[in-house]
Formats: sequence, structure tokens, C-alpha cells
Amino acid sequence: MCSSNNKVKEIYFENAKFLPEITALLNEGHTVTLRLRGQSMRPFLEDGRDKALIAKATYIKKGDAVLAEISKGVYVLHRIIRLDGDNVTLRGDGNRNNEYCKREDVKGFVIGFYRKGREKIDKTNEPKWLIYSFVWTRLYPIRRYLLAFYRRIWLKLFPCKLPV
Amino acid sequence: MRTKKGFKLRDICGEKIIVAEGLENIDFCNIISMNESSAYLWKQVEGKEFTVEQLAELLTDEYEVDKDTALRDCKALTAQWLKAQIIEKE
Repeated sequence: MCSSNNKVKEIYFENAKFLPEITALLNEGHTVTLRLRGQSMRPFLEDGRDKALIAKATYIKKGDAVLAEISKGVYVLHRIIRLDGDNVTLRGDGNRNNEYCKREDVKGFVIGFYRKGREKIDKTNEPKWLIYSFVWTRLYPIRRYLLAFYRRIWLKLFPCKLPV
Repeated sequence: MRTKKGFKLRDICGEKIIVAEGLENIDFCNIISMNESSAYLWKQVEGKEFTVEQLAELLTDEYEVDKDTALRDCKALTAQWLKAQIIEKE
């Protein structure tokens, strides 16, 4: 579509180097839009397909999707499932294991997601995300079966379209 | 022409990218990155008025390149910058 000679290419940054820079930008007051990697926030979010709009984490609460450094250089974009004073427990929607960090390790707060190549954002304070969150987190006891169904059947019937 | 106000060159993981200053969103799904020589040129003219001829001169000062090639490259470069809307005419 674009006939200019401005070349479009994919650049992959290493999380351990890139995300500290992102943290610095967030602290300067910028918001950032990042392409998501990995399958740990299934079924709402898909690897390489969806994007997140992230701001500096100032006030966090249970249920929020956040960008956190769970150990030196290891960053995740997962959901807060427990907040106990300074201690934060995280779990990816597509995971069954927990991760732990401190409040200060929560670097970014997800304002919303751009899904399936849409221009319109699904904000995390809007009904769609809130209802999904309410239902999905309560289905945790049968999550392994739901994820298996999603992976083996749903994705076969409705494969993800990655952006070109 | 001149570089647009607020656009600064930043180094993110060795990648030279143009970022709008202020509280704006930085969309890493759609960034403008520059190679070494165009980043050099940008730094020289950031926040200033410039002409293609001046750019070409800066290029020949820094790199082993003849005047004609430099002029041609700088014309192409400013066309790209205009298209990317990081500089403006007059």
C-alpha cells in the first residue's frame, strides 16, 4: 500500500535490555505500545498478534494486568492475583503457575490492548475486559482443560491471523 | 526545511529511533529507526533549519563519499523524512 522507500522491518529486542529502557520511558511520563510475545496471557491475548498500551504503574490493584520484573532481567506481562502489603503475586491468564515480586518490581500498568489488528483499543477499565477477567479467573480450577481445548480445538477452527 | 519540534533521536538497545518528546505515546510497533549515517545527519540538524545541500556537505565532511552521491542520497533521505513526517518544508 505504501509506495515509499521507507522500509518496514521487524526488530526484535532482547527483553532484559529493552524493558529497562521501556521502564525509563514510562518513568519519564511516556506511555508505550508494545507487541506482545508468548502464550501466557491466552486466551484473550495471542503471541505476536496483539499489542498493549502501557503506562507507569502508580496505583495497582488485584486483577490488573501489569508489566513486572519478577527476577533480574526477567519481565512478564501478567495479572495480579494477590496483593499483600509489599508482596505481589502474579499469574498469566494462560498459565497455571504463580510468580512473585515486590510492589517496586511492578513497572507498568496496562491501560488496554489492541487485539486482532484492530485500531480500537480494548481498555482494561471497560466491561469487555472486566467481564472476561471475572469469568476467566474464576474458572481457574478447570483452566488446564480450557487451555487444552483452546489450543487443540479452538485454534484449529479459528487460527490466529498474524499482522502482515 | 527544518526538523519538527519535539522529535528527538534516542538510542534504544543500539537502535537509533526518533521519539516525540513530551508525554506522548511511543509506539514500538511502529517506530522510525535510522542507520548510522542518517542518525549522524539528524543529530547535526536537530531543531534547526537546513537544506539538502547542507546535509550533503555534512555527509562529505564525515564520510568518504563524493559530492554527487552525497547530494543524491540526501535528497532521497529528506524525501523519506518528509514522508515520515519528522521534518517540514520551510
